[in-house]
Order: sequence, then structure tokens, then C-alpha cells
Amino acid sequence: VSRAPDITRVDRYADLIVRVGANVQPGQNVFVTSSVEHASLTRAVARSAYEAGAHYVDVNYTDPYVRKAMIELAPDETLTATPGWMLERVAGIRDGGAVIGILGEPEPELMADLDQERVGSTRMAEYGRRYLAAVNAGEFNWTLAANPTAGQAEAIFGEPDLERLWEAVARSVRLDADDPVAAWREHTTRLKARTEQLDELSLDAVQFRGPGTDLTIGLLGESRWRGGANRTTDGIEFVANLPTEEVFTLPDRRRTEGTVRSTQALALGGTVVRGLELRFESGRVIEVHADAGEDAVKAQLAADDSAAFLGEVALVDGTSRVGQTGLFFYDTLFDENATCHIAYGTGILFASEGFDGLGPDELRERGANVSAVHTDFMIGGPQVEVDGLRGDGTAVPLLRDDVWQLDE
Amino acid sequence: VSDALLERYADLAVRVGANVQPGQLVEVSARVEHAPLVRTVARAAYNAGASYVDVAYADQHVRRAMIERGPDDVLGWTPPWLLERMRDFGAHKSAAIGISGDPEPDLLADLDGARVGRARMPELADESMRQVNDGLVNWTVIACPNEGWARKVFGEPDVERLWQEVAFCARLDEDDPVAAWRDHVERLDRRTRALNELRLDAIRFSGPGTDLTVGLLPASRWKGARSFTADGVAHVPNMPTEEVFTTPDARRTEGAVRATRPTVLNGNVVLGLEVRFVEGRIVEVHAESGADVVEGQLTTDERAGYLGEVALVDGTSRIGRSGLIFYDTLFDENAACHIAYGAAYAETVEGETAGLEGFNESTVHNDFMIGGPQVQVDGIRRDGRVVQLLREDVWQLPS
Repeated sequence: VSRAPDITRVDRYADLIVRVGANVQPGQNVFVTSSVEHASLTRAVARSAYEAGAHYVDVNYTDPYVRKAMIELAPDETLTATPGWMLERVAGIRDGGAVIGILGEPEPELMADLDQERVGSTRMAEYGRRYLAAVNAGEFNWTLAANPTAGQAEAIFGEPDLERLWEAVARSVRLDADDPVAAWREHTTRLKARTEQLDELSLDAVQFRGPGTDLTIGLLGESRWRGGANRTTDGIEFVANLPTEEVFTLPDRRRTEGTVRSTQALALGGTVVRGLELRFESGRVIEVHADAGEDAVKAQLAADDSAAFLGEVALVDGTSRVGQTGLFFYDTLFDENATCHIAYGTGILFASEGFDGLGPDELRERGANVSAVHTDFMIGGPQVEVDGLRGDGTAVPLLRDDVWQLDE
Repeated sequence: VSDALLERYADLAVRVGANVQPGQLVEVSARVEHAPLVRTVARAAYNAGASYVDVAYADQHVRRAMIERGPDDVLGWTPPWLLERMRDFGAHKSAAIGISGDPEPDLLADLDGARVGRARMPELADESMRQVNDGLVNWTVIACPNEGWARKVFGEPDVERLWQEVAFCARLDEDDPVAAWRDHVERLDRRTRALNELRLDAIRFSGPGTDLTVGLLPASRWKGARSFTADGVAHVPNMPTEEVFTTPDARRTEGAVRATRPTVLNGNVVLGLEVRFVEGRIVEVHAESGADVVEGQLTTDERAGYLGEVALVDGTSRIGRSGLIFYDTLFDENAACHIAYGAAYAETVEGETAGLEGFNESTVHNDFMIGGPQVQVDGIRRDGRVVQLLREDVWQLPS
């Protein structure tokens, strides 16, 4: 049993999540998804949300051990089923709600001894489809934040040094600033400026070159770079991930070519994937190798016809606070902000313009991927050069030695 | 607590309590503090062939934030997705396992009692009561010891000791708990048969501060540990249970009654409750503490102030023998005779309850303890003859 962390810090973190992350508006229902291990932060978030004027705070606690029992013992069809009421909950979210996800894996390797094909295929498919569609349509304000736990600290440091993890998290999410809200305003403005620079270049592709990596990712005419704060269709500004250090866009699902080697491990729902190498041809993953967790990746890639195509490419430089901690957090929310990454699975449609109102088949036809999965993995670092390729074939250096090459 | 004890309780809850059937959807309702038992129950349920175990973890701190800081109109609001969830369980004829054991019984004590009383989801409570009354769900309630609960009971957070007491009360200390429960259920069944044969018209309680007559309906039937769903699945709704109970005629409760034990209500401890009834209805409420919470509950709807249950428990009760006040109705109601204001159970009525005069319908149901060695209990037959039921906590009928 770990001691409860300093209450002031938890409350400040909760305020950041509610006011900067989700930016909860008076009268909104707030839908919190959390895990039983994260009760202390969840409670602080509920208090903060009511303080911000929330109408009702709905907390849906999950439990990794109950999930493990399901993956191990439940009938096959249960693994992908969505309980009817969860769809009603999505309807509630879409009816003017805000969403806060509290993440953090207290036991990153909990699922390691299970059948990885079952681990990889477990997800509420219909729920995922409807939820992602609403996210992509910008229907509501949402954020994801992580709660540090002793188990995560143990995985990272080899000892349950929760205090040290809290310090790393606080630094990563700028809680150490005198005025975290102002610090976030400055930070999101800087990321926004990067997206404008990149959009002005009208890139046709992004190229990564480094050890084990020679990858070209085609972009679409409709691709737009995003980063920092987002905006709902109703104009509510929110920061979808705490922390966030990335600028990212939607790739052309048909035009990924070459090989890529991950530069960091990847925590994938209770399994740690190490040494992942993928080869792409005409957009599709055609070869998968990994030192650990290969089966879980393969199961995910087989989840549906589109899982093996890219849905996101993201750039992160060496000024990243997450990267500067030098830690592998066993949590994608943090780890994807340490360095450049790509995601196989569904496309980040809000990083595009001109696709409004199109169905999944039309989107795929036009190069935007639609799938039930979305998994980020890290491919950047000091040894990986990143170039932008313009339509006329000229290359624009974007990252060298982890340093951002465009003027700031 | 040992994994072995957790597994004994979980297995008992799944196999005897809820009696989970292969392919059934299983609902588990618990607090976040109950995670160790919930996890074991989930495994046991899947091992019994559950199709899916849907766990709803409630968090009283989140609820406290709502009562303290939420808008007025949210207090009586039922989120549609939670109602849909409850309806799903009825529609699928699910199994349900509830976990009791309040980690912080006094958590809401400093809040506005009226707001605490109003912070309910009436549509959810209605749907839940409908499913129980229609026999749609095979369900049980068990308890998970935790630090806060142990502190309440012993004055110190001795969770291990509370586990031992709970194990005793729930017969987990027997070599074969399943066989022990079979015997126990049989014994309570014999009591209900004896009571049903008497065709009582009323029950009378007399003791210090208590002189209460609870009228029964001609259709009232006594029930013990075991229930059956409409489809005939046997289940034991409470583990532990020591009571036999029936449905009163809500119009015919008369007199005064003094609670003999504390009642925990929405996180508030109600001490020294005294209630007076006229023509079935509660017309006066006094308490040393928590009276406002009771009054808040009694105003939730028209019928909250009428009785929905009367139950008899004798001194052989393991809960009574533990000598403890558990501050938890699942246990304390099994220490002594009790009554409940609010909704009545259809399962203790012969025939249709729709339109039945005297069958109480409400969105609340709250038990409080009125029995003990100093309280005599008599049955009154239709012809006015009096039958002794309890004297000094000893069961007077053959059993």
C-alpha cells in the first residue's frame, strides 16, 4: 500500500486536467473513465469538475484484473462485444458531454502471461467505432491524463519510488511552473506555430532515416498538421493529451513505403512490445518482427481490414519535457511525446480538411484510414533524420539530432 | 486476507448466492475499496460459465463531490445510460452480485442532510425493485471487509479481524460452506412453513419504547433465505442471512417503535431512532442523530413513510452471537428482528400485487432493527388468539 501523495499536488493536477485539458464548461456532464487504482486522482477530478460548473460527473471505473479474468476465461465473442448501455453512454457524451480519461498502468506486464492473440483482439468494437467517429467529428471536448502509481514506478525505476515518478510527471505536464495554466498557453501556442509552418510547406511526404529505418510516408492534399490545443465544432478549446509535445497529421494510407525500427518499447494493454520492426508496401504492413510482444501486435493488425495501415504521423523534437526525463513510462500517453512516432490503425481525421460527411468506405477510397484500432509507436530519436518532401521532390530538413530545423 | 478465504466467499456467492448459470450475464456492484473481492468474484463467475461480468464500481467520494458541489437538479437525476444498463440486466435475465461494507460510513455526515437524502436515482431504484419483484434476476449480496469498515466496528482498522467475523457470519469457517448453507437454508424454510400455517393477521412487538402492531395481508407469505426467479433459478439474496420475513399490510401499522441498533443510511449513522405510526404511516420521527436524513428519505415519495417489510430473527443468529454491531444492514438486520419503511417485496405475497391494497410501492427501502432480548414478539391470529414467537430472543415455535 502506497501513501497518498501530497493532496495539494493532486488537486493542482486535477485542476489542470479539468480546466486546461478538458476545459469543462458550466452545465456539462463530465464522463470520466478511470481505473480503481486511480481513485485518488479521480476523486480530485470529480471535485474540480463540479467546481468548474459540471452538471454531473459520471465515473466509469475499470479494473485490469477483472479484464484479465475476462481475457483468460470468457467466451470468444465476449472479447469484442459492447454492452448496450455503453452505447447509451456514448450517446450521453455526444449530447453535450466532456470526457476525461485517467490512464496509467499500475502493472504494465499484467497480461504478459495470457494468450496474446486474445489480449490483442479484446476491445469493445462498436463502442470504439462510435466513440472515435464522434472524436473525429470534433463533437466534444476531451482529455487524457495519467495517474502515477507505485506499480508504474516499480516498472520504470525497479523500485516503487512513487515520489520520483510524481516529479517526472509533474515536470512533463508543467505542473512545476508557477502558473501552469499560463505555461500551457505558451506551450500550445508554440506547437500551433509549428503546425502553421508545416502546413505552409504543403508537404507531399515525410521521410525518416536512421538505423533500421528508411520510411517514406505519403501525405494527402487534405492533410493538415495539428498540435497543442484543439477546438470542438462548438468552439470549445481543449488539450486532448496531458502531456503533449507533438505535432501530427493524417497520412495517405496508400503511400507508406519502406522499413521502420521502433526506438522505444511500447506498452500495449498489459504487454510490453520491444524491438518492433515493420515493413510497409503500398501502405500496408507486410512484415512484423519484435523481440517481445510480436503476437499482440499481429493480433491488433489483424483486428480488421484497415488495422495494418497508418493513421497518424507525429513529430517531436528534443525540447520535449517527456523526452528530457529520459524515462520510458510504460504509458503511450507519455512515451509518444518523447519522440517522433507513427500509429497504425484509424486515421486522425481532425488532422485533415475536406472529408466532412464521408463514410468509412469513401474515406478509405480517398486515402484516409478507418479502423477500430489506433496504436502509436516511437520511431524518432537523435539518430533518426526527418525530412519533409515537397510535391516538386525537394527535401526540407525537419529534424537533425533531435533539433527542430524550421525557424521558430 | 488470504486468497483462499476470498475464493471461498466468491465461490459461495457465485454458486449458492447468485447461483450463476452458464452463459449468464453477471452484474457486480461494489465500491472501489472492494476490488480484492470483486476480482475474485469475477474469476469465479467466469469459471461458472458467465458470458460477461459487468462490474460497476461506485465511489462515495465522487458522490460526496456531487452532493456538496453539484447543481440542485442533478440530485434526483438518473443518467439514461445507467438506467439502460439496469434494463439490460433485466432483459437478459442476468445474475447480480452486490458487495456491501462501507469503507467510510461517516463520509457524508457533515453535509446538508436534506441534499444527502435527495441524492438518489429514483428511476434506477424503481427498475431494480421491479426486477426483484418480477423475479428476473438471480442475485445475492455479500460483504468485503476494509479498513474504514473495520475501524467503525472495532475502533481500529483491524481488517483481518473483521474478515474472521465475516467468515463466521457467512459460514466460511465450516469445512464445507456449501453444505453448511444447504442445512441453514432448510432450517429457515421450516420456520417459514410453520409461520405460513398460522395464517397470522398481525405481529406485535413489545419492549422498552416499543409497542407496535404490524398488520399483515391475507396474501402475506413468509420467506427465508432462498428465493426463486420467475424461471425457477434458486438463489440466496443475502449472505449472511438469518431472517424470515414477510410483507405487511401497509395500512395497518399502529404504535411506537424504538430502534435497538444503529442504522447506516447514505453514509450517515442514525442513532436512537424512534418512530410513531398512525394508520400505517410514520407520523413522528425522533433520533439522537441523523433524523434529518430519515426525514429526507421519507419525503422522497408518497409511500416512503409506510412499511414494506417485517422480519424475525432469533438468538441463534451467528450475527447476533458475534455480539458486534457491524454498522451494515446486511449483517445487523440479521442480528435482530427488523422492519423496513418503503417498498414491499412481491415475492412475499401470494398472487398478483398490481392494485393490491396495502402492498406498499416506493422507491426507498430502509431496514432498521427493533428486536432483541428485551423485546417480546407475538403473532396474532385472525380469531384474535395470540401465539408467542420470540421470548428473550428464543424462537418459540417448533423448528
